[in-house]
Amino acid sequence: MAKKVDSFIKLQIPAGQANPSPPVGPALGQKGVNIMEFCKQFNARTSDKQGLIIPVVITVYTDKSFTFITKTPPAAVLLKKIINIERGSAEPNKTKVAKVSKSQLKEIAEIKMPDLNAHDVEHAMSMIAGTARSMGITVEE
Amino acid sequence: MKKYIQITLTFNPPNIEIVSELLWQLELNGITEIDNGLIIYCDIENIDISKKIIEIMDKAEKEKIIETYLLNEEILEDKNWNAEYEKNVKVSEIGERIVIKPSFKEYITNDPKKIIITIDPKMSFGTGEHETTKLVLTLLEKYVRKNYKILDVGSGTGILAIASVMLGADHAIAIDNDEWCLLNGGENVKLNNLELKVDIRLGEINDVAEDNFEIVTANINKHILTDISDQLVFKMKNTGVLILSGILDSDENDILQTYTKHPVILIDRLQMNEWIALVFKHS
Repeated sequence: MAKKVDSFIKLQIPAGQANPSPPVGPALGQKGVNIMEFCKQFNARTSDKQGLIIPVVITVYTDKSFTFITKTPPAAVLLKKIINIERGSAEPNKTKVAKVSKSQLKEIAEIKMPDLNAHDVEHAMSMIAGTARSMGITVEE
Repeated sequence: MKKYIQITLTFNPPNIEIVSELLWQLELNGITEIDNGLIIYCDIENIDISKKIIEIMDKAEKEKIIETYLLNEEILEDKNWNAEYEKNVKVSEIGERIVIKPSFKEYITNDPKKIIITIDPKMSFGTGEHETTKLVLTLLEKYVRKNYKILDVGSGTGILAIASVMLGADHAIAIDNDEWCLLNGGENVKLNNLELKVDIRLGEINDVAEDNFEIVTANINKHILTDISDQLVFKMKNTGVLILSGILDSDENDILQTYTKHPVILIDRLQMNEWIALVFKHS
């Protein structure tokens, strides 16, 4: 018989670095889930994605057991990594901090495709370009 | 006790994905998604985080990504978040002799060979319930001999060091870089009356001055086991063994490639579900 689902927990945490401090501790602890076991599994499965933020959806069952799936990192995080900047602009309309090329946009769009509500890669690229502009990153034509 | 800034940000419409992507421009520890917004966490030192979030949210308002938002900042003290789970920790029987139990549960046996270890996990890893811990405990039962010196790296609750001594080792050093493990490991050592035999330390493997251990254990993860492979091999006595755990079977070849670059050979392997443990000795 299938296990009964109690709830879903959605977190965004750095790959390979889950630990029992917030947000993991408070979110899983209140459901009686073994926090350390989640951290062990998450870190093992994401250790090859160090430096990226990984959204994770945890399914908690009524017997306190859990399963989880990971999603693709946020576009802002991928942009920062691929064009090698630490942060976006505080005034994106006035101060530009970097440029992103079409090929870099395509690279990010292809990574993000499984989680974006986009018709095709071109559509996904336009969505990533919007995030880039909001960070003060110039999109090269 | 460590403190964190917790910011509850609710907004309408709940464009959670777009807003969280904008917020990851900032230095955050992590985010919990809720129905109508996000709960954002960062270190207490990040004092102007609310100001930075407000700037991003004001801009999102102007660009019509959201219509309205509310922000509430609180200070959150670290605590034993695992308390609710601990209430349901069960007694675990591992291998032929080892029994792991929490302090609030009894285990009665007439078998004099059984070794009963009391572990209250709190915020450290190693309850005896997880496959990675069970694998190492099973291997310790096989490899520990009287008068051995043991080093456990990434010791969590101290369970492996405590078990080693209770299986006959002379003494054990357990080291972890997490402050919770120093506190919790020390408590578990006291619960088992092993203060003179098990030395719980805060730090990294490089902080351990001693070497020539008959057994070195490390139940961590592929990434760290790869990074510290030199030191783990170095700490092992010529006739000693190195027990590695915390490895998914899909990562076995990567670990073997890393370790066979050192003068060691694989002599044992155990698997439980998707997790494996590997044992090496000097070649």
